[in-house]
Amino acid sequence: MLNTEAIRILVLAVLFAPVALAALVGLAGRSGYRSARRLASLGALVHLGLTAALAVPAVYVLIDRSESEEAYGHRAANSFQPIFVPGDPSGELGSYETAWNLFPVAKAPADLPPPAIQFFLGIDGLNIWLVLLTSILTYVAVLVSHGSIRERAAGYYAWLFLLQAAILGAFLSFDIVLFYIFFELTLIPAFFLIGCWGTGGGRRDAARKFFLYTLLGSLFTLVGIFGIVLTNPTPVSQTNPDKTHYTVVLDAKGQPHYPKAGPVTFSIPKLMRNVAVWNHFHEIAIRGAELKKVAAAKGLEKARSGREPIAIPLAEDDVAKAEREWQTAKADREHYKSLQYWLFFALIAGFVVKVPLVPFHTWLPAAYSEAPPAVALLFSGVLAKLGTLGLVRIVLPLCPDMAVQQGLPVFGFLGALGIVYAAFCAFAQRDLKLFAAYSSVSHLGLLVLGTFTLTAEGLTGAALHMVNHGLTAGAMFALVGFLAERYRTTDMNQFGGLIGRFPIYAFWMFVICLASVGLPGLNNFIGEMLILSALFSPEATAPVGYGLGIAAASGIFLSAWYTMTMLRKVFFGPLLLPPTPTDVEPRDVRPHEWVAFGLPALLCLALGIFPQPVIQSMKSDVNIIVRQTDDARDRANDAKSAAK
Amino acid sequence: MNPLSSQALFDQASLSIRFLLPELTLVGSACALFLLAAFRSSRRFSGCLALGAIFAAAGVAFGIPEPSFLAADRFTAGIDPTGVAVFVRWLALGAGVIYALLGFSDSSRQTAPEYFGCLLVVLAGLSMVARVNDLLSLFLALEMISIPTYVLLYLPTKSKAGQEAALKYFLLSLLSSGVLLFGFSYLYGLTGAINLPLVAETLSKASQVGPVSPLALVAIVLVIAGLGFRLAAVPFHFYAPDVYEGAPNGVVAQLAFIPKVAGLVALARIFGLLTPDAPFDAARTLIPLTLWVIAAVTMTFGNLLALIQDNLKRLFAYSGIAHAGYMLIGFLVATEAGAGMQSGFDAVLVYLVAYGLMTVGIFCVLGYLTHTGRTIETVDDLAGLGRTNPVAAGMMGLFFLSLIGMPLTAGFNGKLLLFFGAFETPPTTPLKDLYRILTLIAALNSAIAAVYYLKAMGVMFLRAPLQPAAPAKGYAAFLAAFLCAVGTLGLGVYPKPLVDAARKAAPIPATKSPTVLVVSK
Repeated sequence: MLNTEAIRILVLAVLFAPVALAALVGLAGRSGYRSARRLASLGALVHLGLTAALAVPAVYVLIDRSESEEAYGHRAANSFQPIFVPGDPSGELGSYETAWNLFPVAKAPADLPPPAIQFFLGIDGLNIWLVLLTSILTYVAVLVSHGSIRERAAGYYAWLFLLQAAILGAFLSFDIVLFYIFFELTLIPAFFLIGCWGTGGGRRDAARKFFLYTLLGSLFTLVGIFGIVLTNPTPVSQTNPDKTHYTVVLDAKGQPHYPKAGPVTFSIPKLMRNVAVWNHFHEIAIRGAELKKVAAAKGLEKARSGREPIAIPLAEDDVAKAEREWQTAKADREHYKSLQYWLFFALIAGFVVKVPLVPFHTWLPAAYSEAPPAVALLFSGVLAKLGTLGLVRIVLPLCPDMAVQQGLPVFGFLGALGIVYAAFCAFAQRDLKLFAAYSSVSHLGLLVLGTFTLTAEGLTGAALHMVNHGLTAGAMFALVGFLAERYRTTDMNQFGGLIGRFPIYAFWMFVICLASVGLPGLNNFIGEMLILSALFSPEATAPVGYGLGIAAASGIFLSAWYTMTMLRKVFFGPLLLPPTPTDVEPRDVRPHEWVAFGLPALLCLALGIFPQPVIQSMKSDVNIIVRQTDDARDRANDAKSAAK
Repeated sequence: MNPLSSQALFDQASLSIRFLLPELTLVGSACALFLLAAFRSSRRFSGCLALGAIFAAAGVAFGIPEPSFLAADRFTAGIDPTGVAVFVRWLALGAGVIYALLGFSDSSRQTAPEYFGCLLVVLAGLSMVARVNDLLSLFLALEMISIPTYVLLYLPTKSKAGQEAALKYFLLSLLSSGVLLFGFSYLYGLTGAINLPLVAETLSKASQVGPVSPLALVAIVLVIAGLGFRLAAVPFHFYAPDVYEGAPNGVVAQLAFIPKVAGLVALARIFGLLTPDAPFDAARTLIPLTLWVIAAVTMTFGNLLALIQDNLKRLFAYSGIAHAGYMLIGFLVATEAGAGMQSGFDAVLVYLVAYGLMTVGIFCVLGYLTHTGRTIETVDDLAGLGRTNPVAAGMMGLFFLSLIGMPLTAGFNGKLLLFFGAFETPPTTPLKDLYRILTLIAALNSAIAAVYYLKAMGVMFLRAPLQPAAPAKGYAAFLAAFLCAVGTLGLGVYPKPLVDAARKAAPIPATKSPTVLVVSK
């Protein structure tokens, strides 16, 4: 059997090792860029090993969980179930909780855990692959920086590792404020990486623009987080505020007892359960009041037909009381709903900026074109996934009703718009970095669109696409870095016929480009097909029709068009090379670049052929989200039929 | 019988003195410093003496047990040593150490004894603001902060700007003291008492049986105006930019922090927010709305004007105004009695500490950098600091990040508690959803503030140096900055001790039930 305790420590090690590495490289690598890069690549490789050591047992357990759920036909759990939680007070796989409090924000009734921000980390099917992806791409980023970063290299690698630590922290967090903390912390290393080691003249402005734009978005998210936390406290018993109370209890007279609001919680799994429960209670309260109204009306009729006139005013009182109760219950629900509406948009603001979703992408061209290629690689490969993971980890589970109501019509539409718009932008770019950036935005639009279908296929596709897109977009920037390092330029017009000059480079570029356009057998194909199938399934897209699906499909076609155009321009035709900045004649792919290009390319192939382990390990977590949103959809349908 | 020789009065006075021993130590040392100035005027000597006095006061506070104090004594005693008094005393002593260290590089040889003497009196005054229990001594305590500040501003009257700053502060401060005293006189006239809890209780009782007296409103508005000057809240902020610009670093560091603490604590005590009794029920009046408007305008105005500043000290003046706006949110939330919230004035205390660490820390770094004669006037003078003085720049960067409110700094935790408290205030209060809107305004303001802080950070770290590396010398100021940096980072990573202490200092008033929340069934 697995040693759970050891794996919990491994989770902490995976998070904190980059911090230690940053300190090590920052201090010990000062003697020159050679020693810094040697230390950094060794450290990143070791960390990759650590992550793999964590991923293997985690994936094993997750697949096991999904399979046993399938075999026994269990209904999906009602909230995320992170495994290997450090600080878990209980046994083997654990209680999906932690006892490590960072600081209590308020007081609590005696027996309940105090409402504290917790150091709540964990693994589930949604984040384990992203964690692995982060470690892989950081290693690739370090390798790609080998030749291009020579000035203050120690500081550069130190910030790179800190960026990795912040991203890993956000992926692993199951406390909503802890997630926000790590989410914000990514800004600091990113600011310095763009601002200090950027390649263009506008790097300072680009760094500031990136920082401020994302900060503005995430401050809205913070307000949204407060709102969600405060409107979804733990339900407790009316009579005994020390006891949680998740179901409606009937008392001796058969009267239903509703819970009241207890202490607030910051744990995402608990919040998810509270959201479901409060939504449920609001419905039940209305139903109960309706029944009472009917009963009271009957009582009044009976009293009127009866012989005792004295009973009539009493029965009238009952009717009025039942009517009042019904009105209050309805007003309560309306208030809750209207607040959720605003909170949904506040909550999602930070994530759509981070992804970025068109039209919130205006920070992106500057940041990507000024950043060193290795940093752009991490930005599009993993940093963007913070936004998409935020959607599935926070927005969908905690605002399910609004996600059903507003998701596809608003954000699905923006995703579809982004697919097409960014595709045309990519076609028009002359700079390879911007080409890769817009192509990445186009694919991310598809990912967001898939997320908001809120079906198992769509969400599986989106979750898979997070990994796939990370690999292809990351590798694309690594490949762009190849040219940037050798020629100090990534202007497409200055290159031509590279296939003759750099045949091995051309080979890797073709592989990644084909993966990016979704060639069957390579990774993107699977995710895109899943998302498309969800978009064309009537249950998911009833409110918006097939328009979004058509936009998504055209996006895949467009991606082939602009990618092939780029390949034709740069790799075919007569040889065209810009002047080399040094006298040394640039060489084709060198050993460390073999690893940097080969590793993601091989993984693209592997995921294209065997996506099953990934899909299987995500399955139970995707089902958890789908259960939450399906309930919301049922509520919406009920309300619609009731209105009729 | 001669009332001055009454035994009871004597007993009460001696009891009060026993509650003020550390403050007396500070004031006594200040007197000694002023006298010694006639014989020996040395920066190191005076500074060490002042540091010694602060540690002695801390020793007295820690070592000599105070007489017992019952909750009922609050309505008669001259001193109330419970609750926030302890918190503010330690805050004053802690800040005192930093200021004294900063003073080593900030004072000049001729005026050093006066500089440190005034500092000690200011610290004693700050501690007394949280401790004295009637309107008159509260006013005296506040003046104990103001009057030495005039002296501190006058001491280096070499430049025209310095003279302007001193005069401006002097006149406006006098005016605000007059307004405050006027308000106090109304409070006394209405309630017939000068004892703070008694004033608050009489007002709240009167407001329970009938409409709130318009004179009480006038009194409270006057008090808010008088103390608003100390907070530098809009529209009482006009002095701040000019005074900051003309005054030396060490004095600005004091001005930026100590009057804010004193003003907020005094306001909270007059409103009765810091005792477990029912506070003055202002919720039915226009006072919360007035405070809402002041808070919103203060932060927005401060941040917007800070955007266009080139001069570093003016920038921090406006940034200080903006932060006063954030603190007022917490104060406003704390006035919502009985609304069923889990936080009150404690969030303000946490924010004050965080704000003090980061703002004073910045002036300590500036003091360290300018010690050797290098001038840092504008933001551009910071250019390339990351290359020339990496450690100082690193600390400065940390303070900037804390001011922006980035996680893992004390500033983040302060903002988190303030914003959370504001959002938590249920819409059943008379201001309804305005609190939530205020949270949103505050969040937007944080984003605006990030623009100018980040600009300064960009200049420091991303630009090439304009000046050669300054030889490092002001070790005392460096140590002060280092202590602030450790505090900022330490309380950012693990804020629990501070939060607990603040909660102990400002308990949630009894009428605020701890469990009722927004959605209740």
